[in-house]
Amino acid sequence: MPYDDLRSFLDTLEKEGQLLRIPDEVLPEPDIAAAANAAGRIGEGAPALWFDRVKGFTDARIAMNVHGSWRNHALALGMPKETSPREQVEEFARRWDAFPVPPERRADAPWQENTVTGGDVDLFAVLPLFRLNDGDGGFYLDKAAVVSRDPADPDHFGKQNLGTYRMEVIGRDRLALQPVPVHDIAQHLRTAEERGEDLPVAITLGNDPVIPIVAGMPLRYDQSEYEMAGALRGAPMPIATAPHTGLDVPWGAEVVIEGVVESRVRQIEGPFGEFTGHYSGGRRMPVIRIERISYRSRPVFESLYLGMPWTECDYLVGPNTSVPLLKQLRAEFPEVRAVNAMYTHGLLVIISTAKRYGGFAKAVGMRAMTTPHGLGYVSQVILVDEDVDPFDLPQVMWAQSAKVNPREDVLVLPNLSVVELAPASQPAGVTSKMIIDATTPVAPDVRGNFGTPVKDLPETAAWAARLRTLLATR
Amino acid sequence: MTAPTASPAVCPRCSDEAVRTVAHSPVPDVWEVLQCARCLYMWRTTEPARRTSPGAYPERFRMTAEDIATALEVPAVPPLAAR
Repeated sequence: MPYDDLRSFLDTLEKEGQLLRIPDEVLPEPDIAAAANAAGRIGEGAPALWFDRVKGFTDARIAMNVHGSWRNHALALGMPKETSPREQVEEFARRWDAFPVPPERRADAPWQENTVTGGDVDLFAVLPLFRLNDGDGGFYLDKAAVVSRDPADPDHFGKQNLGTYRMEVIGRDRLALQPVPVHDIAQHLRTAEERGEDLPVAITLGNDPVIPIVAGMPLRYDQSEYEMAGALRGAPMPIATAPHTGLDVPWGAEVVIEGVVESRVRQIEGPFGEFTGHYSGGRRMPVIRIERISYRSRPVFESLYLGMPWTECDYLVGPNTSVPLLKQLRAEFPEVRAVNAMYTHGLLVIISTAKRYGGFAKAVGMRAMTTPHGLGYVSQVILVDEDVDPFDLPQVMWAQSAKVNPREDVLVLPNLSVVELAPASQPAGVTSKMIIDATTPVAPDVRGNFGTPVKDLPETAAWAARLRTLLATR
Repeated sequence: MTAPTASPAVCPRCSDEAVRTVAHSPVPDVWEVLQCARCLYMWRTTEPARRTSPGAYPERFRMTAEDIATALEVPAVPPLAAR
């Protein structure tokens, strides 16, 4: 059964031993962020963290690291917690084929229990806000889904966007928003600002565990994240109508914040420790004016620590970046076997592919750079043969060390687009990109001495199974 | 228990003196959340000195009036469309 809200997923995590309640009173800073940072440093299988004794607060309930291990990511998608990363990506890709699954509109959303509007809006009265990293300019909402519509086509359900964008609390009823130009909300905002109009938005916090996965997923502009959530859940995504803006929001959210991005306004924002492992900011960014907050009684505040990888963010955007690239590449090149885009949201991608003819793998690498996500991210591509597992980094390093003749197999392309957050870009937003072709050349590319590869013995697979059985039963 | 600091005269990040209180702890007198009106830096009075004290605030994160005035607009405000 898919999860319709965060609370039911937290119950499952607890039953599976994947939620750790912190029993002692903690300081809001630096304890909560440091604990979530540490969850990424204690090895495989880290649990979600639950805090409800936070100094100075009377009623805080804070969930961190909810997606912060392969076990938790598997459980979020209803898979057994032991499912390997590669198997999770393959199952994710299989479910993608059910897209689009229309959502199910429901009434009586739990977040309708409480409402504040106008001058009574005070984020601090609803959320136990706290800082993550030392250099952050303030307290952030970094795991919320932001919903907006295309002002030029407001009735198009697919063009309604749901995405995760960082938001800094800059007042009781004000947020600064980072709409990265390659992201869909930036297109909505541009259209609104060209017309001199505010852009209505709904911000939903504490969502069911599939929403953060689709909200960070590089879908096509006109593809609905809700219809993708339905495909990944294996059941229609429950949505409800936000009362103030009329936007479609997750039925099961803990908190729904509604307001507008004020037209043609920019204010200083940041810095913020980003998924790149570096701070970005301060820059002048758009501002959201909050006009209404609806919330469940005793809301759970879900947040995410990010900093030097790996952190929860890397688990959250690993498979959801790999699968769209795999699907988009395979649509034109069925030879593509697997895509591992789990490094810094796909700034580096490893692709396994069969070769149609000499030079083919390099073309696959170039195509990866021109996919929707590639335009803003894919800066380095390593191509490996079809029998190399791109999720097995020792195998990838073997392929690169043995197959690459640097002068012919490393291509550097100057002055291409990338997100401004990419720390190596110069100027910000522009970078060179690199293709490393670590595949075996095929005709008419006859370079190298690859005629006699050593393959695993025909009996090896059977012996591997036998060894595992012996180990398990000894 | 850490006693709440009285509102400091200056922002730890940009040294401006226009500091306002934006929130009080729900448990009385444990902490306040303060904000600089110029650089918008926000902090809780119980945070470590490296985030709250002008003397201990790291040089690399400091901000000047010029930094704020010349900060890049992201995204840039587009031209108004002709009507």
